[in-house]
Amino acid sequence: MATARTPRSGSPILRLVAVRLVWTAAILLGVSVVAFVLMRALPGDFAIAAAGAQFVQAEVLEAIRREFGLDQPVWVQYLRWLGEALQGDLGRSFVTRRPVTSEIGPRFVVTAQLTLIAALMALAIGGTTGLLSARLRGQTDWVVRLVNGLSLAVPNFVVATLIVLMAGLYFPFLNLFNYTPFLADPLANIGSLLLPALCLALAVSVTVSENTRAAVLEVSSQDFVMVARAKGLRPRRVLGSYLLRNALTPVITVTGLQVASLLGGSILIETIFAIPGMGQYLFDSITSRDYPVIQAIVLLAAAVVVFVNLLVDIAYARADARVRYE
Amino acid sequence: MQRNTPTPGLPLDAEYRALTRRGVLLRLGLTTGAALLAPGMLAGPGRADTPRRGGALRIGADADPIGLDPTKLAAFSSFDFTALIYTGLLRWNAEMKIEPDLATGFEQPDDTTYIFTLRQGVKFHNGQVLTAHDVKFTFDRIINPDFGSPRRVQFIDLREVTVIDDHTVRFDLKQPSAPFLAYMATNPNGAIIPREPGDLDAAPVGTGPFVFESYQPNVEFTLTANRDYYEEGLPYLDRVVFRFYRDNATILSALRTKAIDMTWVRDPRVASPVTRAMPDIVSAPGQTSRTFPVWMNLKAPPFNDVRVRRALSLATNRTECVQTVLAGFGKVGAMIPESHVGGWDGTGEMPYYAHDPAAAKALLAEAGYPGGIDLGDYIVVAANPLDVACAQIMQQQWAAAGITVRINPMETAPLLAMWREGSFPTLLSVALAWNPDADAILSYLNSGGDFGRNLGMADAELDAMLNSARSELDPAARSDKHMAIQRHIAEQAYCLQIYQYPLRWELWWNSVQGYVPLSANIRSFVRTTWLTA
Repeated sequence: MATARTPRSGSPILRLVAVRLVWTAAILLGVSVVAFVLMRALPGDFAIAAAGAQFVQAEVLEAIRREFGLDQPVWVQYLRWLGEALQGDLGRSFVTRRPVTSEIGPRFVVTAQLTLIAALMALAIGGTTGLLSARLRGQTDWVVRLVNGLSLAVPNFVVATLIVLMAGLYFPFLNLFNYTPFLADPLANIGSLLLPALCLALAVSVTVSENTRAAVLEVSSQDFVMVARAKGLRPRRVLGSYLLRNALTPVITVTGLQVASLLGGSILIETIFAIPGMGQYLFDSITSRDYPVIQAIVLLAAAVVVFVNLLVDIAYARADARVRYE
Repeated sequence: MQRNTPTPGLPLDAEYRALTRRGVLLRLGLTTGAALLAPGMLAGPGRADTPRRGGALRIGADADPIGLDPTKLAAFSSFDFTALIYTGLLRWNAEMKIEPDLATGFEQPDDTTYIFTLRQGVKFHNGQVLTAHDVKFTFDRIINPDFGSPRRVQFIDLREVTVIDDHTVRFDLKQPSAPFLAYMATNPNGAIIPREPGDLDAAPVGTGPFVFESYQPNVEFTLTANRDYYEEGLPYLDRVVFRFYRDNATILSALRTKAIDMTWVRDPRVASPVTRAMPDIVSAPGQTSRTFPVWMNLKAPPFNDVRVRRALSLATNRTECVQTVLAGFGKVGAMIPESHVGGWDGTGEMPYYAHDPAAAKALLAEAGYPGGIDLGDYIVVAANPLDVACAQIMQQQWAAAGITVRINPMETAPLLAMWREGSFPTLLSVALAWNPDADAILSYLNSGGDFGRNLGMADAELDAMLNSARSELDPAARSDKHMAIQRHIAEQAYCLQIYQYPLRWELWWNSVQGYVPLSANIRSFVRTTWLTA
């Protein structure tokens, strides 16, 4: 994608977006087939999960399967699903019997909000510590890298469970277990997302921190930085215009890649903190074999990852003057 | 014709313990035999207070409902919600005796006929007046094989329902059926729906004390008081709000921080520390209402040999499991939990229950396994920490008798599929959901049913015993039959029952008054619940 500068007419970014959209469609189609077939290949279907450990007759299971079309061959089910999906209808949840699209919309917003806050936290924490570590070296470097090692070693669900237990015992005023929708009370909403976002951000901030540190160290030993210093530019200018800008590219890549892991991490964090986002919904849907919901969430998650990668590519062009798209 | 008040006497010989101090119902020991339920309804300090009207009761729930149509839903998680929205002709009272609800009483001219008289002036939530036609509609739907109602198996003895007049309805059974009234009294099994129901899953319409208001999956389920409810002055609450929390630690933290007023947990080891640390939280374990069974694949070697099954039973130290896994909050179990007719109280002898590894080894040698036996995978529900813990302890106990197993904790849905189809290799454990009548539990071992056949059951003598107990209307005689059945099952070791324990352990703040926990784990007493200021 990235090539040497070749001036051409038209908007290269738009062309990039157009090509990517075609690719996205192909990727989503592939993902939809895989998710559809895999879920149905798993032993234990919706009827079994719904009946649980109760005495029900086989005819009851059959009636449930008939009601949701699960008695049809998988390919028939898939084609029907695809036909409806192309018209924007992702079906109805088996559990709640409501349209999947209207169930997922609000949850997606919550997860996006949580992921965004977590990403900003990770960038802020990681960027700052990485930069401090690289510029100050010595004791600071040592402390930052120790803390990073610890944060990476302790899984986020352990941190989350500890916070939940401690909040219940020692900080009952935190109001951690009353998730408030954004429109009801924006401040309370963001407040209730801060601790969960922090749990989610910890591991990602380590990656950002280590990459920032390495990039800054590498760039600061380059000739053009030395030249900038030699010609008497103020240290702040050297840092902002020369050092950071050039160190940014790898950091962007890493952050973009981490969005996928943030989405994955949100499954655990939302379940532990009882946040009504997509992650928790996916977890429940897999347990109860709510196929239409699983299908929709997997597709949406795939679309987000593809979209973020596109954003990363565009961000390269802004950050690195050598990158141009045709 | 004799007019009965319906107390067919589910004989729960529960001992009630007096309140020792306000708010703390019990710190109980099931081990001491105090089997408790419903102590809060008995007179005690605080009971003299006048109920306060208004307020919202917030209940922490660990599972969303899957469907809200009582004739259609299969999931146990839906019962919490249907119990407040719908009512039936009969119900359980605080002592777990059957009493009239939508009916004012019934006559029983012979063993297979029940004539119910309905309350006058009862309205559904949509304003429609309840008549005998609604009752007929409900049960016609349930017994229609094409409809595929999960309730059909419970009312399999019901031949037909006839409307005599608007407020009198007759139920004709194919044969005398002991479980019939118990199912009628249990929500959602006997819940009455209007004869033009619409989509009850999306917009439930019942006759219960609370009216469906809104539902946000995974977040909140809200009910408001039914102002036309037929019991004078009830309910006291304005609203009931269920909030959903998946994680055990989260649900307890939510209770501690008063984000919810009431909840229940499954693990006594989790519940007891909470009540110890916080005296203002009331704790009531239900009766021992479920058992922990080890199912064996009886179709193939080695479990088609009764000696191997008996050896496994002898190798199991059940008392140690009760002490270690349940921290003593339970009893040794047989097929039927104590809260049912003829349920075993865990004391006295059961064949092949005495822990005896040497005898187990001898039986194995006799069966052709002198060097011990490897039973392969023992499949357990990964999501149930109690089950996994018990499996690990038994794994060690069995090893001492030369029996080795590999524990395979599995996701619930595939495990249930294997269990239903009988396609698990050797051993599998899954505890049963609560049943209003012991017949549902025993039916698993009836070789006339899908499940029994899939498991490899073929015992004509047992089948006859089961059918006879099902038709026995005299509770005392039925109880004796159930004991004989349990002994027979233990003798043949068709299914290893390890312990019995409360299905759920209820917890609530002492600001919640007038609430009674039931061993059915149905919160029907939210209708008499009120909140202190």
